[in-house]
Amino acid sequence: MQPMTAAPVLEVTDLRKRYGRAVALDGLTLSVQPGELFGLLGPNGAGKTTLMNILGGLADPDAGSVKLFGQPFGTRARQLKPRVGLATQDLALYPELTARENLHFFGRLYGLGGKSLAKRVDDQLTAVGLLDRADHRAGTFSGGMKRRLNLAIAVVHAPDLLLLDEPTTGVDPQSRNLIFDEVRRLNAAGLTVVYTSHYMEEVQALCPRLAVMDAGVVKACDTLPNLLQTLDAVARLTLPPTPGLAERLAAVPGVKRVTPTADGLAVTAGDLAPVLPKLFAAGIQPTAIDIQQPTLERVFLHLTGRALRDQ
Amino acid sequence: MPTLTIAGKDLRLLLRDPRSAVILLAMPLLLILVLGLSLGDAFGRKPDDRIRIAVVVEDAGLPPDPARTFPPKPWADILLDDLADTADIRVERVPDRAAAEALVRRGDRSAVVVLGKDFSELCQRCSFVGADFKTDPINPLYRDGVRADALGVDFLASPTQPVGSSVIQQVVQVSLLRVIIPWMIGQAFDQIGSDKFMDKMGEKIPEMRAAFLIMPKQKIGAGIQRGIGDFFSQYQFRAKTWAGLTKSEPPTARVGNRGEFTPAPGLGVNRGAVRYQTLVPAYTVTFAFFLVLTVGWLFVAERRHGTMVRLRAAPLTRGQILLGKVLPCVAVSVLQGFLLLLCGKLIFGMSWGAAPWLLVPVVLSTSLAAVGLAVLVAGFARTETQVAVYGTLVVLLLAGVSGSMMPRELMPEDMRSLSYVTPHAWALDAYARLLAPDAGGVDTTAVLTACGMLAGFGVVFLGLAWATVRLD
Repeated sequence: MQPMTAAPVLEVTDLRKRYGRAVALDGLTLSVQPGELFGLLGPNGAGKTTLMNILGGLADPDAGSVKLFGQPFGTRARQLKPRVGLATQDLALYPELTARENLHFFGRLYGLGGKSLAKRVDDQLTAVGLLDRADHRAGTFSGGMKRRLNLAIAVVHAPDLLLLDEPTTGVDPQSRNLIFDEVRRLNAAGLTVVYTSHYMEEVQALCPRLAVMDAGVVKACDTLPNLLQTLDAVARLTLPPTPGLAERLAAVPGVKRVTPTADGLAVTAGDLAPVLPKLFAAGIQPTAIDIQQPTLERVFLHLTGRALRDQ
Repeated sequence: MPTLTIAGKDLRLLLRDPRSAVILLAMPLLLILVLGLSLGDAFGRKPDDRIRIAVVVEDAGLPPDPARTFPPKPWADILLDDLADTADIRVERVPDRAAAEALVRRGDRSAVVVLGKDFSELCQRCSFVGADFKTDPINPLYRDGVRADALGVDFLASPTQPVGSSVIQQVVQVSLLRVIIPWMIGQAFDQIGSDKFMDKMGEKIPEMRAAFLIMPKQKIGAGIQRGIGDFFSQYQFRAKTWAGLTKSEPPTARVGNRGEFTPAPGLGVNRGAVRYQTLVPAYTVTFAFFLVLTVGWLFVAERRHGTMVRLRAAPLTRGQILLGKVLPCVAVSVLQGFLLLLCGKLIFGMSWGAAPWLLVPVVLSTSLAAVGLAVLVAGFARTETQVAVYGTLVVLLLAGVSGSMMPRELMPEDMRSLSYVTPHAWALDAYARLLAPDAGGVDTTAVLTACGMLAGFGVVFLGLAWATVRLD
């Protein structure tokens, strides 16, 4: 990851966008540094796709500013568009064309041509594991293969910023792993990536820094460890019933709460690491310990609530 | 360059889409083939405003007689001349009675006139005077005109077409009167003043016989004849023809009003038939505008596949994207136009007319108009179903209003004028001027004017499309 002091690749400030009476973005502010693999999480209707559309040059905000590579960006910023690669949530490829033809076509749209384009196309096909199916029509591909081709198309013109909107929707685990590997490889090669997903484990596994969006604003934006620190850890101890044990545990420094469970007690602490040795020192000998550290999903639900988002 | 890239991609997609080939090429050819098999030979011909009188001539004529001065030819020929030389009547000779009966039975002719083998002989015997003056005379006249059976004339009439049959019988009646009456008058007038006539006069007026003693009866007879002739000075009683009797100019021989019956071709493609001169251009024009469906699907598919998003995300202007999508449509439309005309020539044997080079601007301008309309409609449709419904509706409506689905000659005048609000009408007019068998000389100015109008339609449609089509 590049030092945080570098000029941001992407900088949005107080971004606002409405569709009729529905507010999609409500003063969103965000920045992404060069070389980052930045995660963007949010429930349905949080405004992620609207933000991606604006960052991809497909729509203009009603208010606020977008800067890419330090320059104002919008639908008419043709000089900046070649520096952006976009893989939308919906597949965007021609099923009647072969994988190679798809890549070739989009490469040419960005001004590539000749042998360099041919090599670039072959490299991308190899990277997403489709070289042996290069001359098959995309319409005959499985969902995972189409997703991989979709990713290859997004980067065929060698952008500096890659916007990935739910890039693993409907793919098999093998294709998902390949996409992860490819995203990591691209990022390691210097490409800045903004990765949007519903899948917490994907973002947790891929993105050192991320933002959680809801209702058109950023609820939290930080590195993963910092986000996790905002929640408590829980240790579930399996113990034989012992009178007065709960009171003894509650008195251990660092323990916030002790709750009875079916086979023992649940101990809640901000940080379990210093707490557990103190338990053992107090003579408490659990037959099993199940430690539940804070996860991104818990952070996400904590920030966005548990209400269903059907809109 | 990106425009050509998009155009090349869309052209590839179009060529790989079998629906386009079916709609733009197979369907019009199939319809031309089916209609070519179904329609009669008259389809595509300019409607004949003349009354057609089909005649079978069995007349054996008159036996040779050096002394006879009239008629100079068989009476059947005199009757046919009278019919043919009358304006707006076309005489069609049918080879024999069997063919005539078949024509009437099939309803191809409402009536056929058969002049029997003794027609000349019976005409020759027609007379106002009795047996005292003419051997075996016939009086063919009665209250309604001429008794056809008295002259050996048969009318083979179709019971299903009584009006047409009646019209033909009345026309023939009038001609028979024009032929027979002067002949009968002339013969009778020739008898006035003859010895036999004077003897009859002497029988009726006994004093006349005394006069014959003073003056030869031939001289008196000649004087009577001359006197009657002078009294009816407006007529020439001795003429024996209608023109002569009425002291009129003889009618001009109208060669174009005479013809032989041509049997209709049987079932089959009948390459070179006149109907293809109408069918091929009509369906070339109609299906040129079915491009609406192809272009619509192209636009909708771009949205449905999500690739429109990629085009918009690429460093392209809206104009480059639209132009890239329009160009292959123009290419396909032009290709379709020329291919249909080529198939028309190779498969159906149609003629490209006297100025084939003028077909080029007609095809090009028609394509421009069709593409313009197609892009305009495509811009409104959001789904493939909408393309199919709106596109088909627009295309069929315009085809109906323009007269693409029928000979434009059959349209009422007001509707024909209204049809010029459609590009189809201009295209059909241009093709008709170039390809219709009775088009005569090619009016290059009129054809190029039609092309200009078509190009105008194309520019207006494209302008509207440019302003209204949304790419998101």
